[in-house]
Amino acid sequence: MNQTRLLYPLGVLLLLGAIPLDVLARIKLTTLPVRERVQIHLDHPQVALVEEERIVPLVKGVNQVDFSWANTRIDPDTLVLRILPPLGEPVLDAKVLSVSYPPNENALVWSVAASASGAARVRISYALGGLSKDFHYRAVADREEKTLELAQYLRVNNYANEAYDLAQFQTGVGAGFDKSLGLDETKEVQINRFANTPVRKTYTSDPVKFGYLDRAQDKLNVPMHYVIKNADGALGKAALPEGKARIFQDDGQGGSAFLGEDRGQFTPPDDELELYLGLARDIVVRRTIDRNERQRIAGNLYRYDVTVKYEIENFKDAPATLNIVESVRQIRDQVRGDPGRDPEWQLGDGTLRHPDPEKSDADQLLFHVDLPARSADGPAPKQTQTLRLTLNNEW
Amino acid sequence: MTLNRIVCFLCLLLPLALPARNVDLATVPERRTVQLTIYNSEDLTLVRESRIVTFKKGVNPLQFSWANTLIDPTSVELKFREPKTGLIMLDTTFPHDKPQTLYWNVQSDADREAIIEISYFTSGISWAADYLAVADPDEKTLRLESFVRVRNLSGEDYENAQVRLVVGTINLVEKIAELAKLPVGRVNELKREDYKDLRQRAARKMMAPAPAMEMAAGAMAYDAAEMDAPKEIIKEGLSEYFIYTIEGTETVPNGWAKRLRSFEADAVPMVVEYRYRPREYGDQLTRLYLLKNDAASKLGSTPLPDGVMQIFRANRSEGLSYLATQNLKYVPIGDKIELNLGVDRLVIFELVKQKIYRDNLWFQIKGGNLYRKLGEDGFKLELDSQVAGWDEHTVYRQKIRNYSPKPIHVQIRRDYAGDIVFRSRLNPTLHDFQTVQFEADIPVGEKAALDYEVIARLGYNQKQNRVELQNGEAGR
Repeated sequence: MNQTRLLYPLGVLLLLGAIPLDVLARIKLTTLPVRERVQIHLDHPQVALVEEERIVPLVKGVNQVDFSWANTRIDPDTLVLRILPPLGEPVLDAKVLSVSYPPNENALVWSVAASASGAARVRISYALGGLSKDFHYRAVADREEKTLELAQYLRVNNYANEAYDLAQFQTGVGAGFDKSLGLDETKEVQINRFANTPVRKTYTSDPVKFGYLDRAQDKLNVPMHYVIKNADGALGKAALPEGKARIFQDDGQGGSAFLGEDRGQFTPPDDELELYLGLARDIVVRRTIDRNERQRIAGNLYRYDVTVKYEIENFKDAPATLNIVESVRQIRDQVRGDPGRDPEWQLGDGTLRHPDPEKSDADQLLFHVDLPARSADGPAPKQTQTLRLTLNNEW
Repeated sequence: MTLNRIVCFLCLLLPLALPARNVDLATVPERRTVQLTIYNSEDLTLVRESRIVTFKKGVNPLQFSWANTLIDPTSVELKFREPKTGLIMLDTTFPHDKPQTLYWNVQSDADREAIIEISYFTSGISWAADYLAVADPDEKTLRLESFVRVRNLSGEDYENAQVRLVVGTINLVEKIAELAKLPVGRVNELKREDYKDLRQRAARKMMAPAPAMEMAAGAMAYDAAEMDAPKEIIKEGLSEYFIYTIEGTETVPNGWAKRLRSFEADAVPMVVEYRYRPREYGDQLTRLYLLKNDAASKLGSTPLPDGVMQIFRANRSEGLSYLATQNLKYVPIGDKIELNLGVDRLVIFELVKQKIYRDNLWFQIKGGNLYRKLGEDGFKLELDSQVAGWDEHTVYRQKIRNYSPKPIHVQIRRDYAGDIVFRSRLNPTLHDFQTVQFEADIPVGEKAALDYEVIARLGYNQKQNRVELQNGEAGR
């Protein structure tokens, strides 16, 4: 029996003669087939898959190909050796016969049969721990905050204790790229740039999600967001993975001002990426329950008429749109306690009558309210909005 | 190479009463053949080995020892294979001063050479199946490779052994590894009288010599010229079990494991399905490869034993994409195989509660047995009455968006407890009395909105505990 042995990282060990495996471990004649090609697949959310292509010299008969991975976190159950079709002559037919696992070693030995002596192109695939990725964004808004330039970066962190020279990276986002990745090295690569991306700046009051700025004065927090819809133009072709976003604004002097940072959520196409910018101090929203009337229908069955009042002032010298978000369940619980049932409700004749149908449901209501700019010489106009609800069949 | 620890001696010049002497002379007959029958459901391997022993006329003491191994001493048996007559085993002795040793006294009616067979149970040798599935880039078919991995931690090297693997569960009343630690006398004190019978009965069907057991020297000299193809693993059904016999012989040194291909099937047809079944897959839309273990699928020659399956998809540049690792449960011949690939982030699955309303309100009057419906003629605004029953209507929209590059088929199952009416135009079916199932096909880049209404009859109104399907528009 002819035996050839491949040793990793990554040598090939050539042995001739019918020698049992435990003897083989002591007598080694090694050739070192270099990696011809390395692909690193990072498209799976949890697992990094490495594929190495090597040209392995085989002799006619049965060859022992040894693969070891001391001090690396290869998952041995994922190791696959595939013999690829030859690129040219002579044609060599090879097949894996068996795999042996020596004791107390991160190693295995493939037994490979070859129809003739020659070189075989093989691909070794394995899941590798310690090789992780994360995404980052850099958004630079224009002066008017109407568009921004969104750059998307991939960061590959190599704590796998193995270096890869000129590997092909497939990330599942954007085009692949070729880079070397050293030991304990982190490599950052820009994988997409979306110029002139439309952006909306939103102001939102939502007592459940964002709470009160001053509960005694009924003043709500009014957070600001940049909202980017993952649709149209260069966007919308793929999901935007979750990742930290640093947000800047063009300062009009050739530079940019840092506005803050946020963790962007996974955003599928047609969804919106919301980046939190901080609290707006120039838009003041006071929320009060203005009315709460109970009417008996029968026995212990009641109907409630509830009015929520919003007093809104825009101290900015620019118009804005305020998003008012309410949870009907939270209003019901506030006016009569939680009976453990979902509320049944109808909108009444308040000023807020047309919730956004795309973003409202059986519990949450979203209204858009336009706020005019403060006049140059006067105070901010105060506008009052009311949300009137009828809560039916409560007991 | 380590030396065998299991030794069979033919003791010379020994009297019938076992010796208390320090000077012995013995010959050591080599193993001629060895067969391992390994069970994957228990830590149990049946070892059958044959040796050639020369007997003289009269009584011949035979010593068998197994130092530092995991053999169950009560399981060791001696049989005479050739000749079958003329040899009688008189008795078996377990000496008190020599652990892991026994003596047989064999009566021979002539000077002769004989083939004896020694069988015993050992622990520490295990086998497990594992699988490699590689889907084609279009996900229409996959290549399925099945492997068996034999691991030897028994303390003994088994060279050139015929290996048989048993698929199926057996009953053991004791763990072999525990028995191996105890002297025979104590084992008998501790165990039920019939423990050995039970254990051996469980394994008896596997005791029959396999045809290849007659291999002797021929099988041992499995030469290199035959090894340019993977060894075939022969699968045979036997009673409730399946036995895999690895072609030829294998050497599995102590501490080593060896993995061999059991079978491979190329272009196995499969379908991709998305399922929402929270009881089975958790609260998420799960992507699955579905195939069958039958002949039409180029499988079905054997059940698939429990084992870990690695699932990949081939890309168009000779590479693989990792999809999932799954613990495959035993799949009988003809049964379905489900490969769970987890969540596909290119398919968005959202449930929106759109509306809630209540009707059919019933009141219990003054805490008594009188119930009246709200709105019923003659029903007055009773102050001392309580809501006792009502129908709660919840209108849902199941949104599905398909951003994957292929059209998808989605199956949804939702469980409802209580007296439920499920109203929709979705042509649902009942999977069971409280589980509704409906399906949808969503083309590439399209969105689906599946509306349905769940009416729960609660309190006094609840008369049943089951789901009723109703064809109608969701919402009023």
